[in-house]
Amino acid sequence: MGSLKPIDDATTQQGFMATRVDELINWGRKNSLWPMPLGLSCCGIELMAMIGPKFDLARFGAEAARFSPRQCDLMIVAGTLTWKMAEAARVIYDQMPDPKWVIAMGVCSSSGGMYDSYSVVQGVDMILPVDVYVPGCPPRPDAVIDAIMKLQKKIEREQPLKARLSGDNLDHGIGSKTFVRAPNTAVSTRGSHAVLPPGESRP
Amino acid sequence: MSTLERVQSALAAIGAKPLASREGTPFFSIEPAHVREACRILRDVCGFETNTFVTAIDHFPAEPRFELVWQFLSVQHNDRVRLSARVSGEQPHVDTIGDLFPGTQYSERECFDMFGIVFDGHQSHAGGLKRLLMPEGYDHFPLRKDFPHQGIEPDKLYNAWFKQRFERHEAEHADV
Repeated sequence: MGSLKPIDDATTQQGFMATRVDELINWGRKNSLWPMPLGLSCCGIELMAMIGPKFDLARFGAEAARFSPRQCDLMIVAGTLTWKMAEAARVIYDQMPDPKWVIAMGVCSSSGGMYDSYSVVQGVDMILPVDVYVPGCPPRPDAVIDAIMKLQKKIEREQPLKARLSGDNLDHGIGSKTFVRAPNTAVSTRGSHAVLPPGESRP
Repeated sequence: MSTLERVQSALAAIGAKPLASREGTPFFSIEPAHVREACRILRDVCGFETNTFVTAIDHFPAEPRFELVWQFLSVQHNDRVRLSARVSGEQPHVDTIGDLFPGTQYSERECFDMFGIVFDGHQSHAGGLKRLLMPEGYDHFPLRKDFPHQGIEPDKLYNAWFKQRFERHEAEHADV
């Protein structure tokens, strides 16, 4: 029988629920996002308001902001990313354990915004794979909460077990040769571990 | 004895010429080779303990192209004085005054970063002259007049930057 065992009486008496492993994992992941608050400018203030009691991100299970990237799985780039800061941002992203997601909060991090300048990264998708872009300058906390809900919907569609069994390389870190600039769409389909159909390789 | 006269007589030895200054601050033009000597005189003879800033003005396309400006403050005399020197070339060189006025090290780094002026003998953190505001590996000097204000090929900057990181990573993990 391999690792499969018949259910004993005790289990059946206590009751059980049938589900797919993917569903279970995704359910856990999407409801316990731990944000890495990369507050680089004024967007950071809205980010704090979002986590605080008035907007209460805890309703969506994502209020546990940690300042160590080792404990985070959701990077929220809130504000203007300069080229000087770009390397630090990428190092923080690399230090976050998989699976991980990125929200570009505000126009500065989405596209450079009004800083069409030599010193500003014209969109963090030049250095990070972004999952959700949030427009606004700065966006209201509601908008970022909406982005988190969109991200939760995206996480629901993922197939972590299939990715693990097919040996898909989840690592998009520093040594990854697969990292390219993500397409600049409203909701990018490229995540840190989006699963591709068999036989298709990453761009 | 006014500040202008006092400083002028002290700087006469190196041939400093007084320049017109709009708000009345004593302003002298010196030769780039005499920078250290002038600063030493200002500090030791005239009592200017502090350097306020080191900066440059790009007079492109006029030659000599760059005008370097140093401003000094004397707290004990409540005086300010400004020095100016013209340097030319794509990579102009001038002596550092970082050892005379330690606070100028950041100003000199910024000036190098923005204008590409090399301060010979600069030794902040003993690592020599490094960029301050722009990342390492950036090839351009943004405050020069011939630099486009939107920047030059950010994609190229990113690619070079990522390639550098990738190669460093490969080198570090070569034995694995």
